[in-house]
Amino acid sequence: MIAKIYKNPYIRFILFGVLAAMVPTLADWGVIRFGTITTLTQVIYFGIAALGLNLLLGYSGSISLGTAGFMGLGAYIAAYVLSDLNMSFLLGILIAILVPTAIGILVGLVSLRISGLYLAIATLCVSEILLESFRQATDITGGMSGKRTSFPSIFGYTFDRASTFIFLVAVLVLVMILTYNLVNSHLGRAFNAMRGSEVAAQAMGVNLLKYRLIAFALATAYAGLAGALCAYYIRAVSPTQWSLNLSLLCLAAVVIGGFRSIYGTVLGAFVVWAVPDLFLKRLPIIGDNPAIPFIFNGVLIIVVIMFYPHGLVHITHDARKLLNKLKKRGKGDADA
Amino acid sequence: MKWVSLMSGELGTLIQLLLRSLETGSVYALAALGIIIVFRTSLITHFAQGSMGMFNTFLVTTLVVSFAVPLWAAMLCGAVSAVICGFLVDFFIIRRAKRVTPVGRQIITLGLIMIFLGLAPMVFGVDPLLLPRFITGGDFRIPGLGASISHNAVLNISIGLVLMGTLFYILQKTKLGLAVRVTASNEPTARLMGVPTRTVTLLAWAVAGVLGMLSGVMIAPATTVTVTLMNIVQVNALFACVLGGFQTFYGPVIAAYIIGIGNNLLVYYVSSVWGGQIMYLLILIFLIFRPNGLVGKKYVKKV
Amino acid sequence: MHNTVTLPEGCILSVENLSMHFGGLKAVDDLSFAVKEREIFGLIGPNGAGKTTVFNCITQFYRPKEGRILFNAGRKGESLRPMNLVGLPVHRIIRLGMVRTFQNVEVIKELSLIDNVLIGAHIKFKATVLEQALKLPRARREEKAISEKAVEALDFLGIADRKDLLAGGQPYGVLKKVELARTLMSEPRLIIMDEPAAGLNDSETDALAQSIRKIRDTFGCAVLLVEHDMRLVMDVCDRICAISFGKFLALGTAREIQTSKLVQEAYLGEEEE
Repeated sequence: MIAKIYKNPYIRFILFGVLAAMVPTLADWGVIRFGTITTLTQVIYFGIAALGLNLLLGYSGSISLGTAGFMGLGAYIAAYVLSDLNMSFLLGILIAILVPTAIGILVGLVSLRISGLYLAIATLCVSEILLESFRQATDITGGMSGKRTSFPSIFGYTFDRASTFIFLVAVLVLVMILTYNLVNSHLGRAFNAMRGSEVAAQAMGVNLLKYRLIAFALATAYAGLAGALCAYYIRAVSPTQWSLNLSLLCLAAVVIGGFRSIYGTVLGAFVVWAVPDLFLKRLPIIGDNPAIPFIFNGVLIIVVIMFYPHGLVHITHDARKLLNKLKKRGKGDADA
Repeated sequence: MKWVSLMSGELGTLIQLLLRSLETGSVYALAALGIIIVFRTSLITHFAQGSMGMFNTFLVTTLVVSFAVPLWAAMLCGAVSAVICGFLVDFFIIRRAKRVTPVGRQIITLGLIMIFLGLAPMVFGVDPLLLPRFITGGDFRIPGLGASISHNAVLNISIGLVLMGTLFYILQKTKLGLAVRVTASNEPTARLMGVPTRTVTLLAWAVAGVLGMLSGVMIAPATTVTVTLMNIVQVNALFACVLGGFQTFYGPVIAAYIIGIGNNLLVYYVSSVWGGQIMYLLILIFLIFRPNGLVGKKYVKKV
Repeated sequence: MHNTVTLPEGCILSVENLSMHFGGLKAVDDLSFAVKEREIFGLIGPNGAGKTTVFNCITQFYRPKEGRILFNAGRKGESLRPMNLVGLPVHRIIRLGMVRTFQNVEVIKELSLIDNVLIGAHIKFKATVLEQALKLPRARREEKAISEKAVEALDFLGIADRKDLLAGGQPYGVLKKVELARTLMSEPRLIIMDEPAAGLNDSETDALAQSIRKIRDTFGCAVLLVEHDMRLVMDVCDRICAISFGKFLALGTAREIQTSKLVQEAYLGEEEE
């Protein structure tokens, strides 16, 4: 009975969320440092963006280098709606999802019509344009000095750091569940077909342009949401955050964690954003250098792609296989 | 007589813009040529071309600024370093990634960007540096039109043209060039026919590295040397490859000059803020009608 | 415009004056033939005769330069609309009631057999992205109903017991059956198969012949086989069209084709090489 409940994917997602939501309590008890909460929050919102990118990259096989740009757009919109327009943060999140998605669809419509290969180049270009706009449109973005906002509030309750964290965990779990539903529906199968065999997908009635566009639109929607969450947690948005480096890190999270794996992506986000902060920084000599995390992730991407293409999430599976093999061998020796 | 001087003024500005575009066009063309050589021999869209160039430009600049090495000697060191970078990347990564999917190989070059972007500030520090020009002063004036071009720009354009001329000569007329072209059109067959495809690929990465370094050194005096030095060059070089088509060597070079000229004209005559973006938009619209670029051929997939 | 065409009486597909060249090479040259409703029709020819090119022209993977591909469009239970397929996007073809298989088996290795079969039902799903994300009733309902049909299709071909296994580890013969099951999901009126016997041994080929007949008899659809293997074609086809170097050679029953001088010469010529 318990095993059956544990096998239910939705219960697992919620269990995962409950465990994650205990982090602030753990910090209160002194088990982990408060700084760790901020690090783990990064894992959450960048993880959401990476989940979107995984839909695009893992399933439809197109690369986007615009994740950071669209995240930035979402962050500025969310901050603008809350602080300048004094409207609900929920509305802010909604608009922060819709506007980048609409722009993403336009970009995708042009570049995907030509070839899947061009999406990476087109999005690289779009994120440069967005970045320049963040610097130039000073009335809305505050230019180089950035924009400040505040913790969101609802029904007279204003969030603090701990409750914002729990809110973010809830959103992450929701996003994971929605993603799970999507990839296990006919949309997910169409994505798989498209990646596995373009010709078969077309012959079965999958409109490649339409489904690539859906994948890209989903990726931008997730990025917009991630940007909004980031803005509300950090309470400040500045143009330097959204450079190509961030897009590359999101890509690293997908690759390192594992293509087409929901938990893998979250694990990948943990490796990319938490491991350097929590572990690498404590190493002697090289630990102080701010460039180390970036190089670490760059090397990790290449190593994983070349030698472990299923990603780190596959480690448990492989470990189990190895264990079984060892057991069998041990048994065989005993029999002999 | 007023309108005559006005006319000549306008014309002078136009010629001035065109001359300057040739310089930026050369920078883009060199970078694009590097990307296309790698693409044709390894079937990889080389996203790290810019960051590799940035890294080696940093080296050149540091040698000049901190160690007072003459620019030409520093560039020689930069070229050596670029060749070594290219060798290392091909030898340790690309060569061993034969079985990786095309998307995976593209991701590898993105990983390379991260490594170079991380290494540069670690090795050379985080302060922006200034790289001097080859020739500091002096202009060529075109009499009667008021247009002028600096000696340095002329040198840059000439270096670009001579270098590309040499490369095209090698590609079209020599045995080595034949090997490159054969590898480009069909790697497995070329290998079976005894073409040393590994050496060809190794050379391609080295040449791409040097071309990236050169474009970096050319663009650097116009701005400061930072990790973002090559972002715009990389974007424009990639667009040149897309616009020119990935199937020929000369297509991207022509496209790079077109982008250089188009960019400057749009920035001057249309909008100083949005000129570049309008250029990209025009390219995308053009590609809707000619998806394989200016000189690309249509490729029919067999099923 | 598409509606003004007429097909020969009782025919589901009519290829008319089809020509296709690659560069200077004429792969198909002024070819015409017609497939009747509920007929198993074979298109044969020696290597390089242009069979696969004809196939790809019919399914619109290639755009033929000249000629018409007339098809009596409409899935099971829909009213029929005769139309010219030339110029339609590839992904539209299956909605018109024509579905294809592939010479080298195009299945998705990372998916289970049943998921592979479900891809064939892509056009039957109506739920929007939002409905799927939230698993709203309509999405859940159609997923359940269509999954049941997919199990039936696998059962029909005798591989229902493997439905949850990954396609990646399955033998070639099973994957061929998965492709057949996949075509059935769209309720087609014409199934067109590209060298279905390629890579199969004799007993597997016999089983395939049986499956093809059973599909025609059970679902009442026409089958067009493009095939190199003479045994299969002679075994199952009601009528056969032989081509060589992209040109029409002969049309008739298996016996008529076997005794045709032209066909013998074309095939013998190949063996002499």
